[in-house]
Amino acid sequence: MSNIQLAFTINRSHIDDSGAELSRRQQQYSLGVNDRMTVLDALEVIRRDQDTSLMYRHSCHHGSCGTCGMLINGERKLACLTQATKLETEMIELQPLRNMKVIGDLAVDPSPLFPDFPKGAAYIRRSEVNRDGRKPFELDHWERFEDCIECGLCVSSCPVTESFMGPAALAAHNREIINRRERRGELLGEVNVPRGAWPCTRALNCSRACPTGVYPAKHIAELRKKIEQDGLTPAAEPGEKRAQ
Amino acid sequence: MSKHHVVVIGGGGTGGAIIHDLRLRGIEATLVERGELTSGTTGRHHGQLHCGARYAVKDRAIARECMEETYILKRIARESLEANYGLFVALNDEDEEHVPIFIQSCVESGIPTKEVPVKHALEMEPNLNPDIRRAIMVPDGTIDAWRLPLQFFASARHNGAGIHTFTPVTGFRSSGKAITGVQVYDLKTRREFTIAADLVINATGAWAGQVTKMADVEIPITPGPGTMVAVRKRLANMVISHLHPAGDGDIIVPQRGLSIIGTTQYRTDDPDDIAVPEEDISEMYRCADMLIPTFSSQKYHAAWIAARPLAGAASTADDARNLSRDFNVVDHGEIDGREGLVSVIGGKATVLRAMAEQTVDAACVKLGITECCTTAETALLPHRAYST
Ligand SMILES: Cc1cc2nc3c(=O)[nH]c(=O)nc-3n(C[C@H](O)[C@H](O)[C@H](O)COP(=O)(O)OP(=O)(O)OC[C@H]3O[C@@H](n4cnc5c(N)ncnc54)[C@H](O)[C@@H]3O)c2cc1C
Ligand code: SF4
Ligand code: FES
Repeated sequence: MSNIQLAFTINRSHIDDSGAELSRRQQQYSLGVNDRMTVLDALEVIRRDQDTSLMYRHSCHHGSCGTCGMLINGERKLACLTQATKLETEMIELQPLRNMKVIGDLAVDPSPLFPDFPKGAAYIRRSEVNRDGRKPFELDHWERFEDCIECGLCVSSCPVTESFMGPAALAAHNREIINRRERRGELLGEVNVPRGAWPCTRALNCSRACPTGVYPAKHIAELRKKIEQDGLTPAAEPGEKRAQ
Repeated sequence: MSKHHVVVIGGGGTGGAIIHDLRLRGIEATLVERGELTSGTTGRHHGQLHCGARYAVKDRAIARECMEETYILKRIARESLEANYGLFVALNDEDEEHVPIFIQSCVESGIPTKEVPVKHALEMEPNLNPDIRRAIMVPDGTIDAWRLPLQFFASARHNGAGIHTFTPVTGFRSSGKAITGVQVYDLKTRREFTIAADLVINATGAWAGQVTKMADVEIPITPGPGTMVAVRKRLANMVISHLHPAGDGDIIVPQRGLSIIGTTQYRTDDPDDIAVPEEDISEMYRCADMLIPTFSSQKYHAAWIAARPLAGAASTADDARNLSRDFNVVDHGEIDGREGLVSVIGGKATVLRAMAEQTVDAACVKLGITECCTTAETALLPHRAYST
């Protein structure tokens, strides 16, 4: 397997006791990488061999935990699923996700993502594999985790600037309505507010950024349709109409 | 409420379960982790909820403990589990010979097994190799390797625990030979400080030896790395295991829309010095195809490696393979004359709660605290509560 030398330009910063970001600057590292290595693999080697103070978030290394989102050459990606040589640039620029608070270097605080998720939402749904086939009699159905890994790439890519629940929380509302029909009225009420399903301008950045195929924009459109179907009065004009 | 303060080093599943347990017993506790939570071995494991069947032939006690912990996790952390069972399949004559001892060992370990006709097995899992000879169902499942520990951290945090990420321990504070605290460096603020402790618990898994070295004591721990490869399609609902004496690449764990084959076993001195050997990938594909023939034709998703924290000393990979999956609580006061430091080594992600219970029991004896463990009966908060 070939080994090529790449330059990594990484945003460095740290915070003071109040959490304010200090000293944003860029630092360059050079590293030999092979075709298999992901940007996360490269960061691990850089931190081990060149700079033990480098901060980034990671856990699963296979696109399941949602911690390693960052801007890679300006695009929102999971570092663990991005093969470094496939980027086809000799210099790879790494920056923390936008729309989120930086706690140091490439690490952000993900907490703004969560307050608008529906309370008590299921994390597990019916599996799509062998859906209606044989199953053990003890099980109601085969099950699996929901696709959303709460990585925040959709939220970070969203161009809406007004107060907005954001794509991840809205997608979770629609998924919960699909999983538990009895919550439909309650959850449609939660999203039929000015900062709910309405500010979306259908830029579709979220659906393009999502690494697990949740397609949040589709869920937002479905929520609007359900609000209409149930005869509720829209709490605001759709964002794309206002933008025209 | 006791006045003692315990510092836990290491924010993997074990550290998470320990700090939760400490807080439930009313003990002041602070945890420090050098990076993000579960950025060591825990986040990267294979994701199998082990009911113990894999270990039953070799070690009934470990198997029994896995089964008990599986029942407990289903009660306290249901949302971090895909509880679809596991299927052990025999592929050849040799495997078939192994079936009776496998079933008997499971029964003796309290693990319910159910043999299903091959035809039924194929109806349940249509992607399975159609040439399987026998199929036995056991209560295995899938763990979300990130969310399960996060449920412990969330509960601990809401219960008043201090949790500091990006804060590596750089040394110990002592008074004479007794440990009185830890020296840490906060990467976020780039400041060094010390945290005083009546007791320090070292829960740094494969890094445990590096940490005890800072206190000038040695601990028998062997980091044992293993590779996993994921493809981008869910090919089964159950965890599919090769029914044979355990070997490489003999388990496929489904998770979300992925199927993950693992694993291999090496040994290393430094758990940070691990990289997937390229030859592991074709070998994992070959092994996976024996269980699910279409595995290797799916889209490649990721390959990664993690280091097991094997309790015991081993100088070769074969020696490491033979180390038990059991865990030990080591009191460095008793063994090395270094009071104030306890290490927990070995174990598995499935038994994180049991590891914590025994470690905190030992801590309580040292501190003269009589509170009992209640983690088995306490439902955990959702993982999202960690950030809200
Ligand atoms: C390939 C593989 C597959 C596995 N599959 C499974 C499975 O399917 N099911 C299962 O139940 N188990 C599985 N295991 C076992 C399981 O992953 C581990 O037993 C478990 O995750 C160990 O957790 P831990 O908290 O003890 O260690 P870790 O998760 O490694 O936690 C230790 C923490 O200490 C931190 N640390 C290190 N040094 C310092 C320092 N100086 N200061 C502060 N923090 C520090 C590290 O960053 C790390 O986060 C697998 C293991 C491997 C390697
Ligand atoms: S919807 Fe997709 S992009 Fe948004 S948080 Fe979930 S997984 Fe990430
Ligand atoms: S490390 Fe888990 S998604 Fe990248």
